[in-house]
Amino acid sequence: MIRSPLSITSVLDEATEAVSLTAAPWAGLLVVTALPYRFLQAVFLDQLIEVGAKASSYGHLLGGTANLIVLSLLVSLWGRAVYARACRLALGRRMTPGRDTWRVPAAAMVSYVLTSSLILFLGYVSVFTCVGVFVAAIFSGLAIGTMELNDRVSIAQPFRWIARHSRVPMQLALVFVFFCALIVALVNLAAAFGLVVWAVSGIGGFDAPHWNLLFAGGNRRFILMLIAGAFVAVEPFWIAANVVFVRKAGAEERGDDLRAWFDELRSAAL
Amino acid sequence: MTCGKMLCQECATQWDGIWHCAACLGVKRGAKVERSPVFSWLGVLFLSAVLLYTGARLMVWTAAVIASFF
Repeated sequence: MIRSPLSITSVLDEATEAVSLTAAPWAGLLVVTALPYRFLQAVFLDQLIEVGAKASSYGHLLGGTANLIVLSLLVSLWGRAVYARACRLALGRRMTPGRDTWRVPAAAMVSYVLTSSLILFLGYVSVFTCVGVFVAAIFSGLAIGTMELNDRVSIAQPFRWIARHSRVPMQLALVFVFFCALIVALVNLAAAFGLVVWAVSGIGGFDAPHWNLLFAGGNRRFILMLIAGAFVAVEPFWIAANVVFVRKAGAEERGDDLRAWFDELRSAAL
Repeated sequence: MTCGKMLCQECATQWDGIWHCAACLGVKRGAKVERSPVFSWLGVLFLSAVLLYTGARLMVWTAAVIASFF
């Protein structure tokens, strides 16, 4: 059911509801499948900072980690696909979806792998441009949002769905909102770690003095892990927002939103 | 003709060497051409594999280029 027209606030509002409906167990599955991918990315950056300007001499080391990242990306994509399906079912039924969430259509999954592998490729090609990251983020959001529309395997169809549902200004706004959310999640995670270290130092019997050094801003690995953790924390909301966005954009195209609005007006008048 | 009815030469139309009546031709025109999805599957899987492999190589290359600036 489409309750309100397409706008950033309505998308975020319904995405929050979708996340609360799918938190257990589907958001848990998403987090578990995303952890290896995000933490391997952190390891890759850590290795890159470690070798610095000599990175071109450490191709095997970085290449090995890059291969692991790509393998873990496939696991992460499956987790995202299951979660996107859970969001769609939850929004349709207004309740936590059951076991049928596991049954992600093979055609949709394969199409999503195709679009995501193109995003990975284009993301690294365009990393030197300022707009490349935003384009990749928008493309990535639409890819997960339109995933389930692919009922048959085709090279061109997933990209046609993405083009049909794209609303660039609104999606840029959505990317900006989630960029802010990422910073908020990062600050909250850092505060949570600080709180735990402070609480544990009061108990005693632990190597707490060292913990203050390890869980501090001076430790590069801690900062990278915090960034990875912030991405993992925001991901369920990002996916839910894009699923809602695509549903609403599709409804706008078909005129369902106008029908819903007219029904609301009629019921209010009666 | 598919339906097997008798028709005069003027009412029949030849298509792919076979004579059809108007109704049979209409059915043929409306029929969906179902193509085997095997080639689509192979194409999508192959393209994904190529993009993922190239993406991993590109990740290392980009990282090395960026690191060389510092």
